Amino acid sequence: MPQVPITMPQLGESMAEATIVSIKVKPGEKVSADQEIIEVETDKAVMGVTTPCAGEIAKIDAEVKGTYAVGTVLGYVEASEADAARFQKRAPEQPQGDVDAEIPGRQEETAKAIDNGSGSHFQVDDVDLPQVATTAEAGRGGLPVPASAKGAGYLSPRVRARMAELQLTNADLAGIAGTGTAGRVTIKDLEDFLNSIQSQPAEKPSAIRTGVADAMRRSWTRPLATVGVAVCLDPVLQDRQSRDPKPGPALYALRALALALAEQPNAAARLIGGRAIGLQSIDIGLAVEAGEGIMVPVIRNADKTSLADLTTKYAELVDLARRRRLTSEMTSGGIASVSNFGTFGLDWGTPIPLPDQTMILGLGVGKKTPSWDESKKEFVPKTEAQVTLSFDHRSLDGGGAGRLLKRVIELLEDPKKL
Amino acid sequence: MAVTYLEAIREAQTKLLREDERVFIYGQDIAGKFGGAFKATKGLAEKFPGRVLNTPISEDAMVGTAIGAALEGMRPIVEMQFADFSMIAVNQILNNAGTHYYRTNVPVPITIRLPSGGTKGSGPFHSQSMEGLYSHYPGVVVMTPATVEDAYTMLIDAVGIDDPVVYCEHKYLYYHLKADALPKESFPVGKARIVRPGRDLTIVTYSAMVHEVIGVANELCKDGFEIEIVDLRTVKPLDTATVLASVARTGRLLAVGEAFPWGGVTAEVISRVTAEGFHLLDAAPARINAKDTPIPYHPNLWSEHRPNRKTIAAKARKVLAE
Repeated sequence: MPQVPITMPQLGESMAEATIVSIKVKPGEKVSADQEIIEVETDKAVMGVTTPCAGEIAKIDAEVKGTYAVGTVLGYVEASEADAARFQKRAPEQPQGDVDAEIPGRQEETAKAIDNGSGSHFQVDDVDLPQVATTAEAGRGGLPVPASAKGAGYLSPRVRARMAELQLTNADLAGIAGTGTAGRVTIKDLEDFLNSIQSQPAEKPSAIRTGVADAMRRSWTRPLATVGVAVCLDPVLQDRQSRDPKPGPALYALRALALALAEQPNAAARLIGGRAIGLQSIDIGLAVEAGEGIMVPVIRNADKTSLADLTTKYAELVDLARRRRLTSEMTSGGIASVSNFGTFGLDWGTPIPLPDQTMILGLGVGKKTPSWDESKKEFVPKTEAQVTLSFDHRSLDGGGAGRLLKRVIELLEDPKKL
Repeated sequence: MAVTYLEAIREAQTKLLREDERVFIYGQDIAGKFGGAFKATKGLAEKFPGRVLNTPISEDAMVGTAIGAALEGMRPIVEMQFADFSMIAVNQILNNAGTHYYRTNVPVPITIRLPSGGTKGSGPFHSQSMEGLYSHYPGVVVMTPATVEDAYTMLIDAVGIDDPVVYCEHKYLYYHLKADALPKESFPVGKARIVRPGRDLTIVTYSAMVHEVIGVANELCKDGFEIEIVDLRTVKPLDTATVLASVARTGRLLAVGEAFPWGGVTAEVISRVTAEGFHLLDAAPARINAKDTPIPYHPNLWSEHRPNRKTIAAKARKVLAE
């Protein structure tokens, strides 16, 4: 049979404890519900302690003349299952999906709080209690629960609002060592930084510089990779002599890329959300240095335009670019671009694709290099340049990029096909 | 001649009784030699015969009678013996007085003085801060003066206002707080005051906690932190503009109140700043209140139950460190 405790009741508002005057029952005695079994005395009066329910006295722990605090267990009644259950049910049911269980450290606190009494009290709802643990521990779902949202990468609402107001981007904050939690940049850090650059010479950058900066920043949010290979430029240089007007090596590269992409159009598909956006036409841009930045006029249908027409078209666009007369239509809608950094005497580079394109082909400077000729068993001079392809690795892998680049090389080394 | 917070309340009532014949004071044991539980009306019954009246021990009847007098053109002041006891009159204060102007277009210009807040050893029924409860309801103005000057001018202002005013006077300040003289001019009703300018953290508070927070600001000052303190003065209406302007200067907010933590004035302050000034916050706003338990008798427990300099400073440092 289950036992129900007999506790020292609160018999008056100011009562904290009471002294036993007499005990009227012995273990084994049958009792009814609310039967007076113990007499106690407080500083105000003598009063009776009654049984919580009917049953048989199992045991009396209290002694006559002993003083006991309110809530102390004085003995037990052997009670029916139903009565025992009724007394156990006094504790409120835990709400479904116990929040405490999901917050590390809270279970222990809750346990402590409830341990203290009959189990029928809710935990104190105190905003000063720690709401989450200060270190990450695995929660019920097995995932670590962050102790704080603050860290080096955290931008407070204030910092974000100030950045938006000043049109600052995360990249602009790179030079600030934050003094906040885990090195976050506080609003003071930002304002101090802004004050510090106030005294330095500054001027408004040109529109083209601002445009390039914005394009590069946006592009750099993607996983970009670069592959490269050498190409023999001699066939192109020879072929060039036979054409009029004479196309530059970059135009050969552009035409080669256009043809290669016409054969492998998936290589330049853009992944946006869950969709691969295909190509409507092979429109390819060509980076032109103009003023303080780069402009990239786009040649439409470069796969269907002869090298001679490309040359004419290109000359027009470059002229417009240098005179800053390109319209936004002339620079938009390309699927890939070519950058001839070889004109700056550079062997090699990792150009960044425009943000709305997935790849850019880079052409290095042509250089005479000794090349082993197996048939002649000797080194022969050869004009060689490095070709690189930078691409959005979400759209294309090293293998795909390699095949595309290899096809470009094949075409460049057999320029009659261009 | 130094004037205490309690004397300022008595002086304000003296001035009101002298200058406005519509004013009378109604309360338990306030007339005769006793002069009220805290002596806020001591000597007034002799000076103003028939205008400082003892009531039966029924807060409900006291406020109900005062409402009737106000409707007849009087300007009654009701003294509750303790703020806690005003609970018995909540129906009259909030259901009747608070809604009367809305229902009938007839205002109820009553002022109810609540001796509020904790003092050592006063326990659960003689220590409570009721401003959060009264602010929750429409139709009443809730004042929480923190200084001798405000205690004086705000009580005069309260009687002048046509709406019911709950005037929460802090018992801890009665004898502790002194000023050199009574003020000649009053700061506008409903306007918060910048007690101390700063640039690192805004602490919004009111009533006795203003003085705890000043202590905290002095302590943190030694570590180079400049704390801006906003004394709300009137918690309803709440001067959101002054609070937001302060947070705009500092980027950080801590709200301190002596009332219980669930809901209430500090929660309202944080809610408003978060909703209307999210872009001003450089750190998560924080608040500190009494504990969510009945108020303990024991002096040591009591001083840990309400926010104190140690706990406020710890919270302030946490917000500052973010």
